[in-house]
Amino acid sequence: MTKKKNTAQDEIRHAILRSPVNGSGLFSLFEAGLTWLQANQAYVNSLNVFPVPDGDTGTNMVLTMQAALREAEATGTENAGEMAKAIAQGALMGARGNSGVILSQIWRGFSRSLDSLPTLDAASLLRGLTEARDTAYKGVVKPVEGTILTVIKDIATSAKASFERGSKLNEMLSEIVEAAQESVKRTPDLLPILKQAGVVDSGGTGLAFIFEGMDRFARGESLEINEKLLKPLAEFDLDHTLEEVEEGQDYEVVLDFTPKAGFDLQEYYKGLEPLGTSIQVGEGDGIYRMHIHTELAKRFEPIAYTEGQGVVKKVMMENLRDQMNGNNPPEELKLTPVEKGQTGVVVVSPGDGLSRIYASLGANALIKGGQTMNPSVKDILAAVESLPTDRVIVLPNNKNVILAAENAAKATSKKVAVVPSRNAPQGFAALLRLMPDSSLEENLNSMKEAIQEVHTGEITTASRSVQIEGVQVKKNQVIALFDGQLVTSAPTIEEACESLFKKTNIDQFESITLFYGQDMPLNRVNQIADGLKARYPSHSIEVHEGGQPHYQLIIAFE
Amino acid sequence: MTNQETELGKIYILPKAIRTVARDAALQSYGVIGLAPATLGEAINKLFCKGADYGILVKSDSDGFELTLNLVIEYGLRIRSVTDSVAETVAYHVQKVMGVPVKQVNVHVRGLRISNPD
Repeated sequence: MTKKKNTAQDEIRHAILRSPVNGSGLFSLFEAGLTWLQANQAYVNSLNVFPVPDGDTGTNMVLTMQAALREAEATGTENAGEMAKAIAQGALMGARGNSGVILSQIWRGFSRSLDSLPTLDAASLLRGLTEARDTAYKGVVKPVEGTILTVIKDIATSAKASFERGSKLNEMLSEIVEAAQESVKRTPDLLPILKQAGVVDSGGTGLAFIFEGMDRFARGESLEINEKLLKPLAEFDLDHTLEEVEEGQDYEVVLDFTPKAGFDLQEYYKGLEPLGTSIQVGEGDGIYRMHIHTELAKRFEPIAYTEGQGVVKKVMMENLRDQMNGNNPPEELKLTPVEKGQTGVVVVSPGDGLSRIYASLGANALIKGGQTMNPSVKDILAAVESLPTDRVIVLPNNKNVILAAENAAKATSKKVAVVPSRNAPQGFAALLRLMPDSSLEENLNSMKEAIQEVHTGEITTASRSVQIEGVQVKKNQVIALFDGQLVTSAPTIEEACESLFKKTNIDQFESITLFYGQDMPLNRVNQIADGLKARYPSHSIEVHEGGQPHYQLIIAFE
Repeated sequence: MTNQETELGKIYILPKAIRTVARDAALQSYGVIGLAPATLGEAINKLFCKGADYGILVKSDSDGFELTLNLVIEYGLRIRSVTDSVAETVAYHVQKVMGVPVKQVNVHVRGLRISNPD
């Protein structure tokens, strides 16, 4: 089956090499563009300007391209012009976010110039890209340079030069990709906010990936390697990696390292394979994280091996056999049952500790998710549908989840309301007001009121150096946010808390609750809490396990 | 008009200043082609005064500003995505530049410009 598909793809590839390309060839090119964009989606998302991980440009562009291809697949035409039209139409209808809108406009210009041309060759590609650029620029009065607009402009310019040199379609594609990548590299010089944040433009990067995917497809290069071998650290899920220990899986070794120059991921992977199983390698901000299960005798070998490949920063080891012998049984959550006719609550929670608190406060269903691991509309819908009642309130507890929750609310026949809670403390405040026997509206109003009354501080580590709102932040420094606004940066968590408390005018609050994240050791939290208690004796300060990723502390001020 | 007290004195921010910032942000936002007069008075101003200021209404109370933008949008774009992003951009810029909270941004699409009919 796979073999057959490969031959079909090879044929299309050869057709591209010969050019011109017909409708299905064009479809394959776009499909490859989407696949490559998807493989690099997390990277594009990480190019956000704000120093906490919540970017979504990559996701928006992927969703836009998916909508485009769905429409294109439905037409199934062999005419290149009509295929381009379907792609443009689909992109328009499915455009998400700013970058998605611009992308849809690019394909719209592209398709218009092709009109109903049966095939695409170098000359029509040049015309298409020129029109794409012009159409994209028409959509805005004051174009901002250093964005996706600049990248499509540079792409069109390079296509022209390439055509004048007499390039064929496939050669032109390769030259375009090179120009796009160069253009992306220059974006920080054109847009100061990018330079300040130390990133390149995310939309432009996404566009470059789409063309790169097309080029890789035409060259016969793999579109999967990146996705399979390397995943972003945020998606590195090491929980529940094992249900039972198999032979040769005595120890789990996780280590962080920075690779030396000339590091070859595939080679590294090959070297690991004889050492153990369940190998995963992740990357984030230049740090690589490797995960492996080894047998007892080999447990130090991955470390020694990695030391030859770069600088090992941190090693974590766990005895899986001991763990499996029941010394760390996972806790069962006791969710409150809801009856028909009552108002039920579905809660999105980023961590185990927080989940336990939600459960004890009366949540009827829990969904795992939060920063950088947003649950999908489908997950939320499934939780809503699982409850026996037809009146349901959803607490998203993250600003990136609110929209998905609202879409889930629209997609069901049940009466569903979303309380726009943006963080865990707001979720608690809302849940405390739950009256299962009151109507949905009464609960909704009272919860909306509740979330206004609580203020939230968050302590996290900056994912890159940046300067925002007059606050200078260096990468890996601790930063504090108050109600979502960056207020301070500091070298240690203690100092960040101290400064956060000062800036929030702490005397207006009476009670402070700290929820510590999964990466915070308990003794460290207790030290911090003791320090705060000594300094603020008139406040009541409490500590709970939150178990959330990314945020060392979430602080509720009441 | 909003005022903030500092140790040295009061700072007043007039709606006209907010409008300037909001207009600039709106016009930099992708898909926005221009502003449209919101009221008869603005429409008359647009006809007779050069450089008339129209299309953005600013209301304020103690919790912050409410902005209403009257926009002309490029034909052929998904309007919902454009309006979402312009509302976000304008709120962000006004908050950043003026340091005052924006509690609401209403977007009225008054017209579409068709530069390329399909």
